[in-house]
Amino acid sequence: MTSLFSRSSSKTLSSALRPLLMAGLGLLGLAGAALPTRTAQAADAPLPAGLIEEGHYQAILGDCAACHSQPGRPPYSGGMPFKLPIGTIYSTNISPDPVHGIGRYTEAEFARAVQLGIRKDGSALYPAMPYPSYARLSKADIHALYVYFQRGVTPQPVDPPANGIIWPLSMRWPLHIWRWLFSPSIQSAQHSTNNQFSDPVLARGAYLVEGPGHCGACHSPRSIALNEKAQTAKDGPLFLSGGGVVEQWVVPSLRQENRTGLGRWSEQDIVDFLRTGRARTGASFGGMSPVIVHSAHAFKDDDLHAIARYLMQLAPARKETPWVYDPTTAEKLRHADLSQPGAQIYVDRCAACHRTDGAGYGSVFPPLAGNPVVMTDDATSLIHIILAGDSTHALHTTPSAFAMPSFADTLSDKEIADVVSFIRQSWGNNSKGVKEGAVRRIRKNLPQLETPAQLPKN
Amino acid sequence: MGGAASLSSTPLLGRAAQANPDQPAPQPQDDGDPAHYKPTFFNQEEYLFLYHACERLFPQDENGPGAQALGVPRFIDKQMNTPYGLGALWYMQAPFVEGPPELGYQLPYTPRDLYRGAITPINTHCLIRYNALFAALPPEQQDNVLHALESNTLRFNDIPGAAFFEQLRTNTLEGAFSDPAYGGNHNMEGWKMMGFPGARADFMDWINQEGAPYPFGPVGMPPKANPYSPAFQNDEEG
Amino acid sequence: MTDETSPPKRPDVLIIGAGWAGSIMAKELTEAGLTVTMLERGHDHSTAVEGTYPSSIDELRGAVRKRLFQKLSRTSLTIRNRPDQTALPYRQLAAFLPGEGVGGAGLHWSGCHFRATEDDLRLRSATIERYGQKFIPKDMHLQDYGVTYKELEPFFDKAEKVFGTSGEAASVRGQKTGKGNIFAPDRSDHFPLPPMADTFSASVFRKAAAETGYHPFSIPAANASQPYTNPYGCQMGPCNFCGYCSGYACYLYSKASPNVNILPTLRRDKRFTLITEAQVLEIMLDDTRKKATGVRYADLKIQSEKTLEADLVILSAFQLHNVHLMLVSGIGKPYDPVTQTGTIGRNFTYQTITSSRIWLPKDRFTSQFVGAGGAGVAIDDFNQPGFDRGKAGFIGGSPIWVNQAGLKPIAAAQGSGGKGEPRWGSAYKSAVIDQYRHSFGIDAHGSNMAYRDVYLDLDPTWRNAYGQPMLRMTFTWKDNDIRMNQYVVKHIGDIAQTMGATRIGLNSLQQGQPFDSRVYQTTHLNGGVIMGENPKTSALNRYLQSWDVSNLFVIGSSAFPQGMGYNPTGLVAALAYWSAYHIRRTYLRNPGPMVSA
Repeated sequence: MTSLFSRSSSKTLSSALRPLLMAGLGLLGLAGAALPTRTAQAADAPLPAGLIEEGHYQAILGDCAACHSQPGRPPYSGGMPFKLPIGTIYSTNISPDPVHGIGRYTEAEFARAVQLGIRKDGSALYPAMPYPSYARLSKADIHALYVYFQRGVTPQPVDPPANGIIWPLSMRWPLHIWRWLFSPSIQSAQHSTNNQFSDPVLARGAYLVEGPGHCGACHSPRSIALNEKAQTAKDGPLFLSGGGVVEQWVVPSLRQENRTGLGRWSEQDIVDFLRTGRARTGASFGGMSPVIVHSAHAFKDDDLHAIARYLMQLAPARKETPWVYDPTTAEKLRHADLSQPGAQIYVDRCAACHRTDGAGYGSVFPPLAGNPVVMTDDATSLIHIILAGDSTHALHTTPSAFAMPSFADTLSDKEIADVVSFIRQSWGNNSKGVKEGAVRRIRKNLPQLETPAQLPKN
Repeated sequence: MGGAASLSSTPLLGRAAQANPDQPAPQPQDDGDPAHYKPTFFNQEEYLFLYHACERLFPQDENGPGAQALGVPRFIDKQMNTPYGLGALWYMQAPFVEGPPELGYQLPYTPRDLYRGAITPINTHCLIRYNALFAALPPEQQDNVLHALESNTLRFNDIPGAAFFEQLRTNTLEGAFSDPAYGGNHNMEGWKMMGFPGARADFMDWINQEGAPYPFGPVGMPPKANPYSPAFQNDEEG
Repeated sequence: MTDETSPPKRPDVLIIGAGWAGSIMAKELTEAGLTVTMLERGHDHSTAVEGTYPSSIDELRGAVRKRLFQKLSRTSLTIRNRPDQTALPYRQLAAFLPGEGVGGAGLHWSGCHFRATEDDLRLRSATIERYGQKFIPKDMHLQDYGVTYKELEPFFDKAEKVFGTSGEAASVRGQKTGKGNIFAPDRSDHFPLPPMADTFSASVFRKAAAETGYHPFSIPAANASQPYTNPYGCQMGPCNFCGYCSGYACYLYSKASPNVNILPTLRRDKRFTLITEAQVLEIMLDDTRKKATGVRYADLKIQSEKTLEADLVILSAFQLHNVHLMLVSGIGKPYDPVTQTGTIGRNFTYQTITSSRIWLPKDRFTSQFVGAGGAGVAIDDFNQPGFDRGKAGFIGGSPIWVNQAGLKPIAAAQGSGGKGEPRWGSAYKSAVIDQYRHSFGIDAHGSNMAYRDVYLDLDPTWRNAYGQPMLRMTFTWKDNDIRMNQYVVKHIGDIAQTMGATRIGLNSLQQGQPFDSRVYQTTHLNGGVIMGENPKTSALNRYLQSWDVSNLFVIGSSAFPQGMGYNPTGLVAALAYWSAYHIRRTYLRNPGPMVSA
């Protein structure tokens, strides 16, 4: 429960925020194309061994591909659509093409764009580009990243589809004010992140989470002006205490709340989750899955452990009575007592994978008993995944993927509301129930379901 | 479709159902009754035959509804329009040579052909022998005809009675016990009779309860899974 | 995986058939650094599509209309019981059910995952040692595999770890555990997962069998008793006894299949290409007829013929199709039952199986819909090498088991009645319901020996959709196997008495009873391209390499010289790993015959 915002306002702001923020990406590449200056590519100069690989790793840590690589288009050529009320805009080409990409950026210009949100032409980026986080990147990492984007990526001489934003909505100057108000300077950003911990592992964890990983972009609450209300562990318990609702997925807390945070996750659980998208305690779904697929699964082992260790020392933002498994529901179901509303649906359609005791099956079918994403105050995620289904993803860290079917055609709004309430109030879970109307609203805005061709092959 | 697949399952204590056979079977609507069901493959006379023959094979009795109430004739009618009904699941290359029964079905006829080829001659036989169509005969005489078919003493249009009888028996049992979405097993009454839980497919708590009856009633496939849609059947044809 | 629209022009290896054998070979040979193209006649298959929950939980579409099985409309075979008969086409799937599509029969199998006994692999030698040469009936082609249990042990072990097999070891590196099948040979390691739980019926059998003096054990099951990650990183869910194994893709990812346990890693490997809807018509040979150059196949997507060349060809289709492809490609000499010369089609065998039925009192519900295809309780007292066949008077043997795989109501109804009981009407209906609620089956799942006049060749009359002559099966039950079955079934009766059955329906083969292609038996067909030590009596050497064409390996139960009491898949997988190991270790360094003829 945040003290500063009601749930609903936070949700509205956050869902509006994501597309708005993404709009900034559309402008970065255009700037590069619009202002032909000298090329920044110092081609053919010999590079220190391993620098390109290091830069590639930095691009994975920062998850650049998430927004700048779109399936069906060349890598880093942009083109990911963001539908806004003011028109559709597209992420830009950040390959080193001198005309269509960022081939003419000098390293200093590149750093200024990535870390301060200022384009080559001096205008400001929308804060979708998480430059308040990237400001924390070390000079060495920025250098590696720059070298990678100039020398390790193939130039793609293609433009993303043309944007359609109409003046005055396309004005960017107010962003400077935002930037001036909320975006830290590189020095202050690096100072606040780098000096929190003497333990080198925790320090590395802080750097990764607060810097390139930009976890707070989704997992920290935003203020009315859309800035993250806390950007580092030092900023207090709002940091990573859970964001709003993005694309009908609730962004949960990464702090140590016992029920709705990571309070009962071990270091290994967090590492497993980031590396494979699945753990004993829960599986990735919704908006987190692309982060695992494009980015986190490829983190080095030490980095994953550093992230886990760092997250585990973030004190809870809310006090919650510890979750304790309650066997009552399982006992009732085992003895064919279906009197609880939703119990029949659960036994007929859910228990096959998640079990009557709600424990699921290890990292294959996630538990519902005690799972923090089940107990968040807002039940949107649970309703959404029952309606839409979802899949984990095949990765080199885990070649198998598992699909949960959509129940949109199988269950009515009332039945989903009942079974969601049942799940949220069984096995020691103690969250409030949901009403039919909530299901109806989410169903109305359901995205396109996965087609058979998109489903896992195993 | 009849929309017969019911999403919600009916709690049923297996023991109680077992012990109370006198409880009247529910009277289903749209059960494929020839009075209001319009067959898609069979003509009215053929459908009437089917409607009464199935019921003799799987009659309403103290155990529960029979083939008619379960919608079996409707199921068979719908199956005639699938790759199965058209014989597309069988090897149907000539020549067709009769052989010993152990070597299996050797007729050139698809399921459609068997029904179309046999029903009218059986009715003709009934007219000559008993002066009435099969559907109008008293049950004992209907049974006599079915026994004659089963034992292969009747043969029509090159269709051995036994071949037709086995086709009819096979499809009748399929209709009694397949998912209601296919048009039979109305209201899952066939499954309830057997104590079969349908598409729940989770018995983790019931692997071994020392012979106690399984307590939950059956559940069907999702109501919108239309098994007669081309998308559903594509992979069947391969 | 490389996109099938742009496969390498000339892969190092061509693999025919995407079932267990093909997938194991593809995995092993890509690991060796080779490029591999695998051709599969059917469609791709995945759990999320073929196993969607709950719409795949559908008996009519699955086991009855046979969604995942071979499409007979395109190709079948002909069957006869004796060489003097005209064989007739197998027009409707019934007695055996070959698969089609990616995963093959390995997608729709049940999951019983046995090894072999030590004697199974050297049955001729063991029989002579124990009972003398004269004990072998005239016209029985009793043969050794040419490979021993000890040699295969590491590969049995590897297969179990890949399959995520649940079971109970009796002896591990000489240590007796006091559990498991006390007759089973020693193992290098435990099963990767603990045994499956006993269904009620299996627990009744376990107790009664022990009380009768036998030695019950949990059937090794490639159904995961717990979530599992195999050595390839592929994950399995846990089995919840839903009963939809045989005939279905397991929606819980808990039954081992090539699709779940091996292909996920191959699909991520650039050296691997999978071409579906590619019906291989011929293995092409060079002018010497001693070297395979590639394959000719029908691309069913565009209805045209294509060829692909490679250095090494692996034939790993279903047993029947392996034999058929050898015959239509003219590789090796077809077997002639009169002169007893030639090897292709020789030693065709099956499984001598009958199911008996036990009824319990009306207050005991057997819930036969609960089940797992590979789970159950067995006794090996009449199958183990030490069982005295001399006294019993037959070669071979049979485990007895309760393997409750999940009986669905259509199958239950179709199988009720007959043998003097009504097959329709009210009395039938009552009997079906009673049988479904209160009875369970006990199987005698026995060996099947090879005989001079039981074989496979090409049919002179019927053709497949590609204009090729179909395979012709000449098969019936023989005296030795019928006596074995009768002997074993008699002992089922003793166990049933002990468990307090209210009714016992024993079922055994009768002398003179012909094989009936209309009734499901098993899909455990063996032989026809068998391995051995002598090129006159076998088609393959002990590494499953063709004696005639050294860059062709033929993997599958087609290599078994005779049918064993156990289910074949565990031995198929072990032989595939065995062959692949020796290809990697020896053949690739020095291509050519690995055993001189």
